[in-house]
Parts: sequence; structure tokens; C-alpha cells
Amino acid sequence: MDGGVAIAVRGLHHRYPAPEGVLEVLSAVDLDVDAGGYVAVTGPSGAGKSTLLSVLGGLEALQEGEATVGEVDLAGLAGDDLAAYRRTTVGFVFQHFGLLETLTAAENVELAATLAGVRPAARRARAAELLDAVGLADRARHAPLQLSGGERQRVAIARSLANGPRLLLADEPTGNLDEGSATTVIELLERLRVERGCTLLVVTHNRALASRAPHRVALAAGEPGAVAS
Amino acid sequence: MTWRDVIGLAARGVARRPGRATLTVLSVALAAALFSALLTISRTAQVRVLDQLADGGPLAGIEVSPAAPDPTQVDQDEARPGVPRDLDQQALRQIAALPDVRTVIPLVGTRVAVAVPETIRLQDGTTVTTEGGQGRRRAAQGLLFEDLVGADIRRASDLPVSVLAGRLPRPGSTTEVAVSTAWLARLGLDRTQAERVLGLELDVGAPRVFADSIRSRWVRMTVVGVVAQQAAGGALLAPIEAVRPARAWTLASVSDGPFRLPGSPYSGAFVVARSLDRVAEARNGIADIGYSTSAPENLIASVQRYLRVVEIVLAGIGLIALAIATLGITNALLAAVRERRREIGVLKAIGARDRDVLRLFLVEAGVLGAVGGLVGTVFGMGLASLVGVVVNGYLRSQGLVGVRPELPLTVAVAGVLGAGVLAVLAGAIPARRAARLPAREAVEA
Repeated sequence: MDGGVAIAVRGLHHRYPAPEGVLEVLSAVDLDVDAGGYVAVTGPSGAGKSTLLSVLGGLEALQEGEATVGEVDLAGLAGDDLAAYRRTTVGFVFQHFGLLETLTAAENVELAATLAGVRPAARRARAAELLDAVGLADRARHAPLQLSGGERQRVAIARSLANGPRLLLADEPTGNLDEGSATTVIELLERLRVERGCTLLVVTHNRALASRAPHRVALAAGEPGAVAS
Repeated sequence: MTWRDVIGLAARGVARRPGRATLTVLSVALAAALFSALLTISRTAQVRVLDQLADGGPLAGIEVSPAAPDPTQVDQDEARPGVPRDLDQQALRQIAALPDVRTVIPLVGTRVAVAVPETIRLQDGTTVTTEGGQGRRRAAQGLLFEDLVGADIRRASDLPVSVLAGRLPRPGSTTEVAVSTAWLARLGLDRTQAERVLGLELDVGAPRVFADSIRSRWVRMTVVGVVAQQAAGGALLAPIEAVRPARAWTLASVSDGPFRLPGSPYSGAFVVARSLDRVAEARNGIADIGYSTSAPENLIASVQRYLRVVEIVLAGIGLIALAIATLGITNALLAAVRERRREIGVLKAIGARDRDVLRLFLVEAGVLGAVGGLVGTVFGMGLASLVGVVVNGYLRSQGLVGVRPELPLTVAVAGVLGAGVLAVLAGAIPARRAARLPAREAVEA
């Protein structure tokens, strides 16, 4: 498949300070994802699914191990470099949508382009095109609170694509949606992955959702994992 | 992200909690109002007090007498003049050429007779009797002899003249005159009744002694104003153009007779130094030229120091109020950071850098502060104006010159900007805290 980035993770460890000491959330994780691949990451609560997503998405600096996303070695990134990586390479979709309530749907989509320094006219056009792509062209001027859960998530998907990312990371994207909306959202993600040429990683508890992905990775709480797509 | 984008986002952030934002802005506004009102009142009081000390003239004003300086009096505010000495055009030119002198206004004085009937009907229909006057005996034939001072009215703002009622005579007019409060007393009136003499017509005569008689040239003059003036001793003030011919007529008397006038072409001069702290040098320069001077410089400088202390204390109180208000901004923003952890995480997840988030919160703080500062400064000036109205009512009831509350534009702008800057400083800690939040907050439950 064209587009997307390949992911290669070797010996990934990630720890958090905890009252009882250091909590190792990821332990010796290996992962390979082909460019343009579609992987569902599953596992029980506390298994480190979101942490894996955070590390691959640059929300957190790599602590130990190796992780390469496309040509980018995450081990060398911190601060502004990590922000630039998130801005240019990654698109996030969250369970809670993460829309700013004070902005309209179009402005939420534009915001990502704003942070990337895109000029106002260009980002307005891009937001309009993306909202059209997720079927919400007519809701562009609505505030998030005026949209249903499914619509909000579609706006969030449009926003995640604003800067043309090559890696889409979705953390429980259907966790707050009813079955119908969940299907719409996941089908949209799958379609856009193909159309826009992205690698897609979806973290989910939902087995049905996970089963849609051609590759699945299961993380077990507190156990080392060597997985491959 | 451009500043415009940051300001737009910050404004949305402020608007998201309108109640909290309004309360925060109000606290800053009240503090800024207190600050600007205190400064306005302090500044106005300062101007009023100094104006009173300078008799309505410039603070750097110096009176020059047609007399030689007394060496023992040079440093005194109210210097006693030495022996009389003519003050002529050449002397005035020399004084004007002194480096510390900004302007020289010559004064001409003469003695005039004012025809005053026993009973005078005023414009308001009431009558007063000159017998009720104080301290002056009416001469024969209903005449009062007065000193008429002539000055260049165009430069009245540089003269120690305060208008208590009406206005000054028009420059160049030979038929308009202003009377002093001393002259009011001749009619048994006090300064609170100054308005009553406006419009009164006086027959003013310049006397001249001939060999066998005294003849006067009469001019009918209308009283257009009542003034408190210290430019020169005299109960009547008129444009110099009206006084010169009268003086020339009287000086041509065959003998001194009862209307002896000093031979000096000018009865004095009012000199304005370039600044208050150059008054001493200007006075020394004039003394070197050979003339006696007096100026309330020491008194003004001393009072000015006390007033400055009062201003600093009041400004300090206002600043403390502002500082307390800005703590409110810190509190509001800390609450906002706590509430918006996930939003900040999302912003970072979609590419915001730490400094973008820092700027966002600093601008929010600045917006709250600047809006509060603007509202408060305008409100404070209004408050000061209200106080001014009340104070003016009292002052005028006492026959005193009113005050005009004024806050210099620079202070007003500084108030608004200062509130904004203080707010930005107050927002520094919350903004820093927000900027340091990890992007991972976006995926926290």
C-alpha cells in the first residue's frame, strides 16, 4: 500500500512513578507494523495500550528501547522536536473526542492546521474539505455541544487529518458511542486510511471492532510482549 | 501559531467561563478604578494647591519690581525691594535674553479716578452703597482713586491671575476692565458675590494736573470679570493698550501734585522661568541686571515635595489594590488550568509546543488585566470627575476658583497597560504550569 509509515519497536520499556515505587507499564515490547497497515491493539486495563499509543504518537518521550516511525527515530526526540513530530506525522483520535467546546466544528479542524502555521485561507479550505470528507459539511458552524457523539468523533477524525498525517492513532475511538455511531466512525477511519494513505493503530476493548483489523496486537498487563503485525 | 491566532483562542478561553471572567475583570477594574481615581484626585489637588500658591500663574513665575535688589533679600521668596529704579524696555530685553527665562510680560500701572455714585444699581437689579465699603474713604464728588494695572491679556495664562467670575477683558479692548476682590470690598461685597458686579459700567478717568486745574480723560469701562491677581498691586486690571494712554496723560502733569507716578516706564514685569528648578538662576540673573524680584519658589518646592509624598502613598495604595486583584487572576487561571488539563493535552497532541500553551495563558491573563484596567481607569476617572463636581460646588460656594479633575493621558495609558502587565505577571505561574503539563494528559481518563 502507498503512504503511511512503517513502525518498528524493539525492547520498549516504559515506567511511571507510583506511590508504591516504579510501575513498569510496558516491558520489552517489540512491534512491527507495515507502512499503511491497520492494527488493533487490545488488552486489559493497565496493559499499556494507551501508553504504547502515547509513545508512538510522541505524547511521551521514549524511555528505553528503540522505536522508529517511518524515518523518525523517536529515541532522539524531545520538547519542540516531539511537538513537530506530532504536528506533522501523527493524527490522534481520542475516546473523549478532545474538541474545544468554544470553537465550532470547522474551527476545531482548523486549529490543528493553525498550530502548523497554515495560512487562514488555506486552513479554512482544508477544514471545509475534511468536514465534507467525514460527511459534516453542513455542520461546520456548529459547536461541539450541538453535535451528537458520533458527529463529534467525525469532527475529531477530520481534525486528526488536518496536517496530512501518515500515522493515525485512535484511542478507544468508539468507546463513548452507540453501536450505530461506532460502526459509522470505524468505517470512516478505515475508509480514510485507504484514501489518505495512513497507517492506522486502533486501541480498543471492543472485540468486534478489533476483529475488523487485519492485524491485532494483544498486550497483557505486566508481561513482556513480542508482537508483530 | 501567530499572535492573532493566540489572541483569538485566548478570547474564546476567557469567554468560556463568562461568570468567572466577569468577576476577575471586575476585581481588576475596581482596583484600577481606585488607582486612577486616587491618582486623579491627588494630581488635581496638587495642581490646585500649587495653583493657589502661584496665584493662578505659572509655578516658575517671578515678579520683577522697578527697584534695585536688596543684597540681603536675594534668596527670599518675598524679597524686600531696594531703592527704586526705572524698569525700561532695554532692561526687559536683557531679562528676556537670560538663558533661564522663558518669557517676560511687562506690566504698566497708573492711578485713575473711578466715578462711583453713592448707590450703584447692579445688573441683577439690586443696589449696593459704596458707603458700605471697607477701608477706603470716598473722595469728594463720588470718586474713588484706584491703581489700574495693564498687562498683555493675550499672555494671561502666564500671569498670576485667576478668574473668579466672568472673564478677562478682550486683548486690545479699551472699554473692558476686570476688578479684583479688593475692589468688591469697596462695594461691601465678598468674593462669593463676584457674579453680581459683572456688567457694571464704570467711568474711569486718568487725571492730569495742569497749572491751575486738574482735568481727567474719562472712559466708560464695563466690568467683565472679577479676578484674584498678584501680577502687580492694583484693584483694576485692563489690557495694556487701555492703560498706556491713561498713564501717558497723567505723566504729562505739570507737577507731581496728588497723582505722582513713578517715572519707570513699566511698573513691573512678570517673568516666567523655563522650569521651577531654574527660578533661582533666573532670579540671580535678574538681580545681576539690577532689579529686585520675588517668587514663591521655596514655598512651592517645599509644598511640591510634600504633595509628591502624598501622591506616592496614594499610588502605593492603588498599586496594592491592583496587586490583590491580580492575585485573583492567578487564582482564576490556576482553576482554569486544573479544569483544562485534558484540553491542554489535546492541544499538545495536535502539535502545540510548550511555548504556544504558555503564550495562550499569558494572553488570557493579559486580556483579563487589560480589559479590567481599561474599564477601571475609565470608571476611576468618572469617579474623580464626580468628586470634582462635589468639590467644585463647595469651592464655588466659598468664592474660590474651582478644580478641573484631570488624569494625564500617560498615566491613564500606564494604568491600562500596567494592569495588563501585572495580569501577565500574575498569569506567569499558571501559564508555566499549563505549558509543563504533559501531552499525555490528552489520553488520561
